[in-house]
Amino acid sequence: MAIHERSLVEPERILRKERLVVEGIDVSGDWNLIILPRVINDYDLDFAKEIINSPDGKTINQCYQCSYCTASCPVHNYWDERYNPRHFIYLARLGMIDELQKRADVMWRCVSCHKCTHRCPKGVLVEEVLKVILRTMAKKGLIEEYPSKKFDKFFTEQVLEYGRIEDGELLFGWIEKQGYKVVKDPILKKPIPFIGETPEWLKELTMKPIKSMNIGFLMLNAKHMLFHPRTKNWNRFKQVLRKVMEEEGALAH
Amino acid sequence: MGVIGKRVAYYPGCSLEGAARAYDVSTRIVAKELGLELDYLEDYNCCGAMESKNVTFMGTMLLNARNMSLARKQGHEVIVAPCNGCSFSLQRAEYFLETDRSVYEKVNALLREGGVDSLDKIPHTYHILEWFYHEAGPQKVKEKTKRPLRGLKVANYYGCLYTRPHFYARTYAHAGGQEEEVRPRKRDTADDDEHPYYMNALLEAAGATNVEFEPMHTQCCGGPHSLSDEMVSEKFVMMILQTAKRNGADIIATECPLCHASLEMYRHRLMMKGVPDVDVPAAYFTQLLGLAFGYGANDVKLKDNLSDPLPVLKRLGLA
Ligand code: SF4
Ligand code: SF4
Repeated sequence: MAIHERSLVEPERILRKERLVVEGIDVSGDWNLIILPRVINDYDLDFAKEIINSPDGKTINQCYQCSYCTASCPVHNYWDERYNPRHFIYLARLGMIDELQKRADVMWRCVSCHKCTHRCPKGVLVEEVLKVILRTMAKKGLIEEYPSKKFDKFFTEQVLEYGRIEDGELLFGWIEKQGYKVVKDPILKKPIPFIGETPEWLKELTMKPIKSMNIGFLMLNAKHMLFHPRTKNWNRFKQVLRKVMEEEGALAH
Repeated sequence: MGVIGKRVAYYPGCSLEGAARAYDVSTRIVAKELGLELDYLEDYNCCGAMESKNVTFMGTMLLNARNMSLARKQGHEVIVAPCNGCSFSLQRAEYFLETDRSVYEKVNALLREGGVDSLDKIPHTYHILEWFYHEAGPQKVKEKTKRPLRGLKVANYYGCLYTRPHFYARTYAHAGGQEEEVRPRKRDTADDDEHPYYMNALLEAAGATNVEFEPMHTQCCGGPHSLSDEMVSEKFVMMILQTAKRNGADIIATECPLCHASLEMYRHRLMMKGVPDVDVPAAYFTQLLGLAFGYGANDVKLKDNLSDPLPVLKRLGLA
């Protein structure tokens, strides 16, 4: 059985002496592990209020810190112990922003598998709450850009623009954002696969339908890349959508 | 059986009209064979998937409410979606619209403002697997099977959002009492939450053998992070593929275009790196059912699968 919470104590706060004598009694050996106390003085209680105000974040106060969520989380179990949903909820409720910031490098790693939400005995929508925490931090400028946010925004902008998603544009657009040089045709400014810089694995993968002469598949995807599929009656709805998102401050950060 | 309705609104989702057209084509074939009718949802929009919801709450409510409203306009009370992401998004919107009055009212006002009818009634969304199982079922599949998938060992991969979270998918059967306050009631037709079996049952009826695949059957493939967090996704996919292979599977059956794409993409990368035991190909469960119903490999577009399941199926005389 793994000890799930050991990683929450920073190494510099753990003190272990070779020999330790307390009030004349030798306590060397197993009993000499000391965790130094810490002083916290910057709670931001408004932070939790903002989370509760969002319909998807309001279950945060039902949490009783049982850690079922952490125990089911694959990112915690198979990737990084420091990713700990229970702890993030705890910190967010107390408004301990600097502690959250220390974990900014792992906080975005949630893969939205919803094991936490499913198993929580108190009915906290854990995954949603975690995303609201991140969103709120981003809105307040408390966290730097992170990869999944970049992708989420990129995706949402495409939805907003066309009403639909197109796989090719999503894939090549994302690769371009990663710093690869994608070659585009001069007229429609659409990415051309097979030439330009693409990661090796993708090159081979895109070659497969060509090697197997899968003409129908190639034609369909080429057509979609040239003429992005659109929702027809979209313009008026798009404006409402944009307005709502602006009200939420979703487009600003 | 027969509680969802034989004729439903069909929300294919963006993916099925592009790179995952094989799933769309084979789904239509299976529905036709089983005597069910899919009514294409005209002019639908993207559900926002797992990405937009991290950017905007109200925005995703609106995106999904628009689709619901279109379904109502076409006279439907039931939507089926073949994609885990789409059915999740629609069910999520359903949950918030039903439980939060203020969200419901705001969404309705905004729908009208955007030139769409407001919702007189909130339609229910089902995953297409649930629909096949309840409207046709294993018995019907057995009757229709002309070329049993004899000898084919299948690992059934359900992914995350088919059964989770129970708030949206309504899969949790509880004992009552205090739990009633916390958890919504299980939907009668819903699959088991921790041990889903609908796909196993359908493929078994078509003659395939299911291999042991728990707990990887509902383990995450990296999902919305398959492009933005490659290291984690690669590890998750490796665990899934290796478990399937080591349990003797010839093929992985999938029921979501995003899981499917993620499995195929990372399978390829892992194989390039020389990781052992990751070469199990993937096929949509509808493709396998289509083959069993006597359709050819080209009819169910097996060539579209980048993981190339054809050799395995040919070896067993199934394609
Ligand atoms: S499972 Fe629920 S109640 Fe338990 S720690 Fe996680 S969020 Fe809190
Ligand atoms: S949804 Fe995120 S936090 Fe919850 S179990 Fe999955 S990876 Fe962990």
